[in-house]
This record gives sequence, C-alpha cells and structure tokens, in this order.
Amino acid sequence: MFIETAGPAAGIAPAGPTGLPVTRRPNRRALSPYLYILPAVVLLLVWTYWPLGQTVNLSFNDWNLIPTKPKQYVDVQKYAKVLSLPELHQALINTGLYILAFLGISVALPLVFALLSRKVQGKARTAYQALIFVPFLITPVASSAIWRWLFAPEGGTIPAIAAALGAPIGNVFRDPDSSMIAVIVIVGWQMLGFGVLVVSAGLAGISPDYAAAASIDGASGRQITWRIIIPLLSPSLVFLSLMTILLSAQWTYPIIDLVTQGGPGNSSTNIYYLLYQFGFRNFDAGLSSAAGTLFFLGFGLIALVFVELSERLSFYDN
Amino acid sequence: MAFITIAPPAQPGSVDAQLSGPRKVSGPFSSLRSLPSHVLLIVLAIVSIFPIYWMFVTAFRPSSDALSTNPLPGPLSLESFQYVLKTIPIAGMLANTFGMALTLAASQLLVAILASYGFARWDFIGKKALYLLFVGSWLVPFQVTMIPNYLLVSQMGLLNTITGVVIPQLCSAFAVMMLRQHLEAFPKDLLDASQMDGRSSWRTLWEVVVPNLRPALAALGIMLFISAWNEYLWPSLIMQKSDALIQVGIRGFLGAEGNNWGAIMAASSLACLPIFLIYIFLQRYVVDAFVRSGLK
Repeated sequence: MFIETAGPAAGIAPAGPTGLPVTRRPNRRALSPYLYILPAVVLLLVWTYWPLGQTVNLSFNDWNLIPTKPKQYVDVQKYAKVLSLPELHQALINTGLYILAFLGISVALPLVFALLSRKVQGKARTAYQALIFVPFLITPVASSAIWRWLFAPEGGTIPAIAAALGAPIGNVFRDPDSSMIAVIVIVGWQMLGFGVLVVSAGLAGISPDYAAAASIDGASGRQITWRIIIPLLSPSLVFLSLMTILLSAQWTYPIIDLVTQGGPGNSSTNIYYLLYQFGFRNFDAGLSSAAGTLFFLGFGLIALVFVELSERLSFYDN
Repeated sequence: MAFITIAPPAQPGSVDAQLSGPRKVSGPFSSLRSLPSHVLLIVLAIVSIFPIYWMFVTAFRPSSDALSTNPLPGPLSLESFQYVLKTIPIAGMLANTFGMALTLAASQLLVAILASYGFARWDFIGKKALYLLFVGSWLVPFQVTMIPNYLLVSQMGLLNTITGVVIPQLCSAFAVMMLRQHLEAFPKDLLDASQMDGRSSWRTLWEVVVPNLRPALAALGIMLFISAWNEYLWPSLIMQKSDALIQVGIRGFLGAEGNNWGAIMAASSLACLPIFLIYIFLQRYVVDAFVRSGLK
C-alpha cells in the first residue's frame, strides 16, 4: 500500500466542494478513486447498460428467444406493431390510472393524515407509525395470498361485510369492472405506510420557529399550513411523487401476476406486465424490447420534468 | 450519525403549541384536543394491521373451522403449519431465501462502501459523468432489461440456480447514492487526522470511516436485505423449474391449494416471519433507513 506522507507545507489538505480533504496529486494516487469505484461501475455496465443496449438492438429484430434460431432484422416494424396493439393502449391507460390512484394513496392521503395528526406526539406517535408501516414490509406472495383470502367469495371477510351491508360483491378478481380496484387496494395498503412515514419525518424536520414567527405576525393556522408548512415539505412531497410515478408500475407487477394475471381481458394489466407477456408468454423478444425502449424513453422524460420541477419548486430549510 | 428521529419530543415552542392559540393548554384538555387525531391514527393502524392479524388467526385455526369469520382466535391449533411442513420443503426454501437476501445485502453494501468512498473523498476527471451512470440506472426499469439479462444468465448456465438470481443485482445504485450522502457529511477532521497519522486511504476507510458509519450501514444493510427478500420478478423468471426460493415456492403452493385457506395463510406467515422478526427487534433501524431514503 502506498503511504502518503504529509509534505512540510501540507498541514491540512484543501477542502474540496464535498467538504472532504481533496487529494490532487498527479501521481499514482490519481488512480485511487477509480479503483474504488471500479467494481460498482463494472457491475452497472454489465447488468444494466449493456443489456439496455441489447434491448434497443433486439427491438429492431424478429426473434423468438430460441438460441439456435437466427435473429431477423425488421427495421421499425416491431415499433409500428406495438403502437397499433389495443393491449398497449389498455396497458398505458391502466398504468396512468394506477399512478393517479397511488399518488392519492401514497402522497395526498399521507399528507392529510400527517397534518391532521400532528397533535399526537411522543411514544404514541411512534407506536402508530410502527403499526402503519408493517404492510410495506410484507412480501408480495404473502400480501396477495392474504387479500385473496379477504376477498374470497366463500368465507372471505370483505364479501361477508359487503353482504351484511346489503351490497353483495362477487369475485372481485374475475370481474373486469373491479379487478383493477382490487389490485389498487392491495398495493395501496402496502404503500400508504411508506407515504405516512416519509411525510411525518419531513414534518418533524421543519423547524417550529417559522410557524411561531408567523403566528406572532398574526397568521392563522390555515395560512401557516398552506404558506409555510406545505412549501417546506415540498422536497419530501416531490420525492414521494417521483417515487410513486417511477415505481408504482414495479410495485403493482407482482400483485398483478399473483392475483389477476392482468385479466380479465387485460382489465388490470400494466405496461410491465405487458412486457413480461410479450417476452415470456408470446416469446416475441422484438415486441417486448420495442415496447420496453418506448417506456424507458417515456419515463426518462417524466423524470427530467420532475428534476426541473423540484429545482424550481423546492424551498429548502437552510 | 444523526438519524432523523420519527417522533421528536414536542418542544414547548412547537407548531402545535403555537397553533393552539396563545394560552398553553395543558392537562386533560390537551389530550381531549388530540382525541380526533388519535381516532384517525387508530383507524389507520387497524386498516394496516387487520389483514396481517387475519392471516395469523386463520393460520392457527384448526382446519375444520378455517373458514370461520369469528374475529377472535379460538383454540390454537398447529394443524395448518404441520400440513405445510409436510407438503412443501418450506424450511429449505426459507434457508435458501435467507442466504440469497444476505448475500445480496452484503455484496451491495460492500460495493456501495467502496464506490461512495471513492466519490466522496476525491475529485477526479469524469466524476460527474460516472456518478450520472448511477443516477441514470434508476431510470432503467428492470423489466426493460430483463430479456438480455435472462439470456446472459442462461448463457452462463445459471438458470434455476440461486446464483443466477443473485448475480445481476450485486451492485445497488441506490445504496451507492444513499451512502455517498452520508459520506459527504462525514467530519473531515477525522480523515485529516487519519491522513496525518500516515494511514493509507484503504486503511482510513476500514479503520476510521466504516466504524463511524456503523448505524447508517446497519440501517442500509437491513433495508437491502428486506428488499432482496421481497424481490419477486427476477426469481420468478429464473426459477421456473425450481422451487428453492420462497417467492416461487409459495406461488406454486397458492396455485395447488386453491381454497385451503388455513394452509395458505400458514405458508404466508412463514414467508413473512424473518422480516417480522427483523422489524420487531430492529424497528428503529428499519424505519430510519426507509425514511432517510425519502428525505433527500
């Protein structure tokens, strides 16, 4: 190992923008940072970026995933096909609806709950939050099993309650009108706790001095909430919204696969489930890759818009 | 390491005290004031917990009244658990899944410690561009790259093996980003002192940085373990002919057992057990890790 000896004039290394001592020596040591980062970068290139390039490449080919069969170059034919498929339109609409529902459940509802329950502090608060967070940790196979049991037409708790209230429900997973709602209930049950936790932590991090100063200036409780608390919370809210938009399709995927398989009649499918069906059910690598490439570009755009938004909207409490 | 505490003690000058008007309310009135909030939180807690409670209650009923809707558990019976143990090799599945999640968490943590240290400690050519690689990988959903990944694993001859499940996820860009934030805030006097003591950067990392980051590393490690345990898509693609992992094994069991709810609930409770144990004993760490991730 190369030991660095502090030179006579180098009492303390100059602080870089990161606040850590920065070593600027054009010698062997210049290699150090690269060596530290190397394993992570290699893994990312091999398992994320190279496959991404492969996906784009596959999207211009017709291939059924059988290694002995040659790939056939078909230009943009797969893109044209995927854009004309009614399944894609259905999946896109569903994904949009899922995102809207989860924005409500994991951003808006937690915000309302956090603001309304500010008065509860200390041990009681920690206990409530600990309970509310539990569903987020449940593995998807278990959560789908639990809810299939709760929704079971024979002996399930929810149909029993609905019947007692005089509004009997059938098999919610087999009915195109309710299958998507059932998926939203299951995934929302898991996401709510995460949202509540993030918003509460954001609230806890806001200095009480602002509200104190404002109320001395005669601001009402409502004004304080809308003009001070919510703007100061905006970094947490922007983060939660971005997470919800980018990840809601990921969170929904296992539940769709385990509970409805996208059905009945594609009524509960989403874009990722469609990619899986194209690739591993229809064995059409080109179609799955073309759709995947389009989704990747779409999400990239959305993320860029959000980064811009958060730069402009966020008020940091410095 | 300054963790965000979820429940800071209410300070006398806190928002709540301010909002409740100029006179400070105390005693029974203040608890009356917060009654609606308590009711709201209780409702929320019940909605969150009831399904899990129901899973356990159903799992512990004798199979003769598995379909009972009595909200209270009757006589406890281990019948359903015995049936699960007899029908599927669930102990092996749990052990395999535990090994998988542990390997992933350890590897992601190690790779992230090295990379975040490299980023936080030095300025170097291409630093921004390299870091963008990590941020950008967030935008690549796993489903978009799953076919090439599947082909690569298949060429390595690793289909239906746990190695094949683990290998594409040895690095977590998210863990690198989280740790880099922690390291940016690391007191530089410690690093300077370590440098003046003549330690190499490698020894500084293991003797100074890592011991001081222990709570943060523990929290992140637990979070990575839970994420790996709950991973579903990739194991279900790779393990099509094997039920060595809990995600795939329980899915097969769900399909086979149909309406045998007692057995299904018993299997599901076993699948959640390790995570529940972690949560019960290390709840602070778990919550801190997940919340910290949402604060920047």
